[in-house]
Amino acid sequence: MIILHGTWIPETDEEFVQQGAFYLWAESDTKSKHLRKKGHMHPQQLVNAELTELLTKELGTKVPSKSSATLENFISPQYFWLPTAKGEPLPSLELSRYLETNLPDKFEWDCWEIDCYMSVSYQNNQFVPNVISFLNDLHFIALYNLADVQLGSDLLFWYHYSQSFKQVVLRDQYIPALRYREVQAAPNGKTPKAKKSTKVAVKSSAKSSAKSTSKSTKTTKAKASAFEIYPGWEIIGDRYESQIQSYIEYMPLACTAGCSDPGDTPEFISPEALLRHFSEYTVNQLVGQTPSPQSYLKKVEGSIIENCLDADVNYPLKSAAKLEEYQQWKVWRDRISRSQTGTSFYLCFQLEAPPDPDAPWQILFQAAPKSEPSLRISLAEFWKAKGKKLTTFRKQLGDDFEQNLLINLGYAARIYDKIWDGLETDEPIGITVDLNTAFDFLKEAAWILEDAGYKVIIPAWWTPKGRQKAKIKLRAKGKSSSGGDDKSKSYFSFDRLVEYEFSLAIGQEAVTEQEWNQLVNAKAPLVQFRGQWMELDQDKMKEMLEFWKQQKDENPDLSLMDFMKLAAGSDEDELEVEFDRDDVLSTLMGQLGDKSALAIAPDPTTLQGTLREYQQRGLSWLSYLEQLGLNGCLADDMGLGKTVQVIARLAQEREMAEEEGIKNLPPTLLIAPTSVLGNWQREVQKFAPQITTAVHHGNSRAKDSKTFKAMCRDYDVVITSFPLARKDTKLFSSVNWHRVVLDEAQNIKNPKAAQTKAILKLNANHRLALTGTPVENRLMDLWSIFNFLNPGYLGTQTQFRKQFEMPIQKDNKQTTSTMLKRLVEPFILRRVKTDKSIIKDLPDKVEQKLYCNLTKEQASLYEAVLKDVEEKLNGPDAADGIQRKGLILATLTKLKQICNHPRQFLQDESEFTPERSHKLSRLMEMIDEVVEERESALVFTQFREIGDALEKYLRHTRHINTYYLHGGTNRKKREKMIEEFQDPDGEPSIFVLSLKAAGVGITLTKANHVFHFDRWWNPAVEDQATDRAFRIGQTKNVFVHKFVAMGTLEERIDEMIEDKKKLAGAIVGSDESWLTELDNDAFRELIALNKSAILE
Amino acid sequence: MAQFSRTWWGKNFIAAIEKIVDSGRLSRGRSYARGNKVKSFTIKGGTVEAKVRGSVNPYFGVYKEPLYSTKIQFEKISRSKWNAVIAVIASKASLISRLLLNEIPDNIEDSFNLLDVNLLPRSGKDFKTSCSCPDYSNPCKHIAGVHYLIAAELDNDPFLLFELRGISREDLKAELAKSPLGQALSAEMSAQEQDLVPVESYYTKTESMPVPKDTSLKSFWQGEKRLPQTIESPPEVSVSAIAVKKQGDFPSFWHRDNSFIEAMEDLYKRVKTKNKSLL
Repeated sequence: MIILHGTWIPETDEEFVQQGAFYLWAESDTKSKHLRKKGHMHPQQLVNAELTELLTKELGTKVPSKSSATLENFISPQYFWLPTAKGEPLPSLELSRYLETNLPDKFEWDCWEIDCYMSVSYQNNQFVPNVISFLNDLHFIALYNLADVQLGSDLLFWYHYSQSFKQVVLRDQYIPALRYREVQAAPNGKTPKAKKSTKVAVKSSAKSSAKSTSKSTKTTKAKASAFEIYPGWEIIGDRYESQIQSYIEYMPLACTAGCSDPGDTPEFISPEALLRHFSEYTVNQLVGQTPSPQSYLKKVEGSIIENCLDADVNYPLKSAAKLEEYQQWKVWRDRISRSQTGTSFYLCFQLEAPPDPDAPWQILFQAAPKSEPSLRISLAEFWKAKGKKLTTFRKQLGDDFEQNLLINLGYAARIYDKIWDGLETDEPIGITVDLNTAFDFLKEAAWILEDAGYKVIIPAWWTPKGRQKAKIKLRAKGKSSSGGDDKSKSYFSFDRLVEYEFSLAIGQEAVTEQEWNQLVNAKAPLVQFRGQWMELDQDKMKEMLEFWKQQKDENPDLSLMDFMKLAAGSDEDELEVEFDRDDVLSTLMGQLGDKSALAIAPDPTTLQGTLREYQQRGLSWLSYLEQLGLNGCLADDMGLGKTVQVIARLAQEREMAEEEGIKNLPPTLLIAPTSVLGNWQREVQKFAPQITTAVHHGNSRAKDSKTFKAMCRDYDVVITSFPLARKDTKLFSSVNWHRVVLDEAQNIKNPKAAQTKAILKLNANHRLALTGTPVENRLMDLWSIFNFLNPGYLGTQTQFRKQFEMPIQKDNKQTTSTMLKRLVEPFILRRVKTDKSIIKDLPDKVEQKLYCNLTKEQASLYEAVLKDVEEKLNGPDAADGIQRKGLILATLTKLKQICNHPRQFLQDESEFTPERSHKLSRLMEMIDEVVEERESALVFTQFREIGDALEKYLRHTRHINTYYLHGGTNRKKREKMIEEFQDPDGEPSIFVLSLKAAGVGITLTKANHVFHFDRWWNPAVEDQATDRAFRIGQTKNVFVHKFVAMGTLEERIDEMIEDKKKLAGAIVGSDESWLTELDNDAFRELIALNKSAILE
Repeated sequence: MAQFSRTWWGKNFIAAIEKIVDSGRLSRGRSYARGNKVKSFTIKGGTVEAKVRGSVNPYFGVYKEPLYSTKIQFEKISRSKWNAVIAVIASKASLISRLLLNEIPDNIEDSFNLLDVNLLPRSGKDFKTSCSCPDYSNPCKHIAGVHYLIAAELDNDPFLLFELRGISREDLKAELAKSPLGQALSAEMSAQEQDLVPVESYYTKTESMPVPKDTSLKSFWQGEKRLPQTIESPPEVSVSAIAVKKQGDFPSFWHRDNSFIEAMEDLYKRVKTKNKSLL
């Protein structure tokens, strides 16, 4: 495993201009074989050639083209102060998860030499530091696992910061700048004094030849040597300042630990200065290397811009003229960055449109007290005020209000010079402007004033919400199918088409072509249309007109799916979809758009159990979608009961079929991960026992077409696993399924995999995908699922990548993201546990059983133990008394161990893999979902061995942050772990706990999932453990998942616990000793194995 | 060729002089001012004194480069008239606001004219000049040269014009402070006199700090606070170059005749479009 690290390293020498560069390095889980003998080299780094190989082969870093340099030219050793123990640098936290070592509690600091790559780009014939886009690429590569690398938190930090920092450039938040430096006075010179304007020193050359060398400028020269002025670029604005402040808090100290030239004692660089240095350096380089055409250089000749553009730090400016320019610049700069913080009021400008379109517009001056910004006092009112009223105003606006007002009005007038017109009086109240001026004000001046800290109040019709826009309306309605023999269903059927026509509209109102043309030809950019002001974009309106003319002659029809694509995929501003009010299409789109508008379906009468309200809504959505011939994805959070909603649908459709006299529905095929096959079967049995299920799995499964088809005829639901869907693809594709359901549908995310291809080939009337991961955020998963549900809807994979994935993931484009969301929304039902409506519907603690099969290995071990016990119980020297008790207790333990994992029973340090235990496999799948949702969980077990193994497996193999508490944990460590786990800023973590050691006293409310990996006889003990998470301070619903190995003693324990819950006061001890009182038959029954529950 | 003055009042000042003085002399004066001939130049009260290098002229018996003393004395406006004028100025927000910004309002003469005086010189009566050079004509080229320098100086410090006409800065402030509007200006005048602020280094100086004592592995590798899940992308702005637009076009350090803001807009755009591969 390779962890990429990197940071900005400034040169810390005493030079006036400190250079800097971004250095990338790679930490490896193995020792480098190419370490140089000299120097104190970090052993687990990629050394020069290794780093080059990683960069070129894995990360696609290219040797800058058109230059003779090679990548090696940019690799150099740098030095990092790193935590060190026993003479070795400690691995980063990211890497330590891949290592089997434990990190020590104590460490010291040592300085390590590491080969680093300095990221550059070659453009305009020079090397330019390239940080922003380089880190963006690396992040993308790591995010999509395009290379076997992970970003360290230090590098991730820089990725984040550089992306935010990019806004400085995109928003023009930098200005040409001069920096004034005092240098050691020349031997004969005097330190220069600030110039006072009354006394003008010799400055005859002020405006002419600054570089004159004539004798008369001798004095000037002597003075000039006492200062130097360095041109460059300065970042400006509140946004930048607050960005720096917030990122200081995020910065890992590792970012500050690098240097080019280490001293003897450990030292870091101050985080704020580091961020500023990076930002300033980057802006200066970026602007400095941007080529300017000759014509432009002419336009800025002799000016500050020219100085700043070819700033050469070796030749600072030294003339008196430049000193004066500096002073002028400084006043200007301070005014730009001055905000209205000093005053106790905001100066506001309110633009008011006249009621009569030809009358002048007004910009009114107002003042709003900062203590109460919604109270805007018009200046007209202020000047009129007398006595008490004036006193009140003064109290609100401050004593020196007039003075501050004037200064602020003056500054505002500098930005927008029309304001001067309002100042030809000693009591300014506002200005009147004509329409074009008002338009310019809205378009530009308002923004600048707002940015400068003034409040601008614009008419409601100009705000994005209230804006009237010219657009094309798409009027659509359902087209009745040609047959006309439909049973007057209010639904669409598959083959229904959507009929539509385009019309021109302004805002909500339709307009004629003639009116449209009038607007297109209007002279003014703002017009009053039917009493409402609006802005005209005449070029766009012309285009729309063309489009409309083209379309109106055609008589288009669309399939429902194409229609939905058209409606969602277009720019809302230009194309609006409208429906005939009573049309079914209107209802349909409304209901798909707002799922809470769906009528709640009653529980199917054949369903054993009660659906929660949101589950009823889910059922109603499932059936609605299927009736429309659309396929959806049910993506509720884990624990909200996707399974029961699907079962309810199975029951419901059977009831409906019966009503219509249809006897036999074709079977539903359910494809799920192997670890949940048994659980599905069990849940169907529990909630809808009338629905028959067959598991198609294992060696005894139907292998020839005839048997398989017979099975499909006999059962309502056929359950199989993903691997078998591929293996037996011939059998599966020979049947016409009523429905194919994919549980954990993200399993088909690889479109090239044979498994995915096999599943896509299945014939089915309906398709349904289930997933608990937030698919919206994993775009390729989303595409894959849609490719299964509604092929073509999101385009081909390549099209999708280009149209959505790249813009959203790489360029962070919000508009594209919104459009995609609109497209997929009707087809995805996702409720999360934090939804208010869901919380209201859920009990605070949601318990759920997870039934798992035994693997073949587990089953044979189990049987072997049973056989052994049988012999001992029945044999000639049958145990009795204490011996018998011991035998019973030992047997119970052994069987429980087998149910957990074969290794626990064998105690042979064999592999702890999920393949050997469905229970472990299911736990891992669920923990993945927990971590994906950035949530935390507790895992309880009664066995120390399984706790050890689980913790190690989670940390080393799954690389999840874990804590582990068992009987042997000392108090100090225990408290530290609890504190870290509970830290709201901490990583999502899994806490593995021993049932006995962690039963009481501790609070772990950060977890909202509790897993009981094995079962205890006494529910009170389990509940007590569960309550670690379910305590005061828990703000979320707690989901409790209890594993039950099917057909084994665990299932019987579970039944007993359930019974005991019903039979209050039954005598069940808190330990297992009472079980030893069972007679042989009862004991045998308890531990018997139901072979139907075995699954390969 | 750079002009001597870019502001309207500096230009008006020159125009006023040009009206009074013969143009041939003025043009010689211009070259005098450009050619670094003015060696020292002080303004005190309404008097400008300068030392100007003359030229060797055997015809006049000058064989060594001479140094002439040149003096220009402006006619003072009486204090009582000043007080009246200031009262008028202080009643107009536009005048005060502009003066606050270190600019002379273009209609300021209207306020002076109300009282039958003028701020800018109008005729030879408004100032007296003298020069130690042998040239009998007045103004000589030395005097003309000094006029140009005064114009350049006025650009940066419009209040100099008030001073030349006989009211000191202190008196002006005191008189202004008598009205609420004027108070604003007087306070700001004091604020404008700024000191130079030297910097220690070109970029923010990166300073070392000792390793914080209780640095844990977590705070070292991962930081104390978690990074946000998403990177906020702020709404797009439709107006470019907002920062430099806040102080209007043609800032005082910009000596060119084309627009500073346009030049900056050009540059901002190019930085964004030419560096796509770096951003």
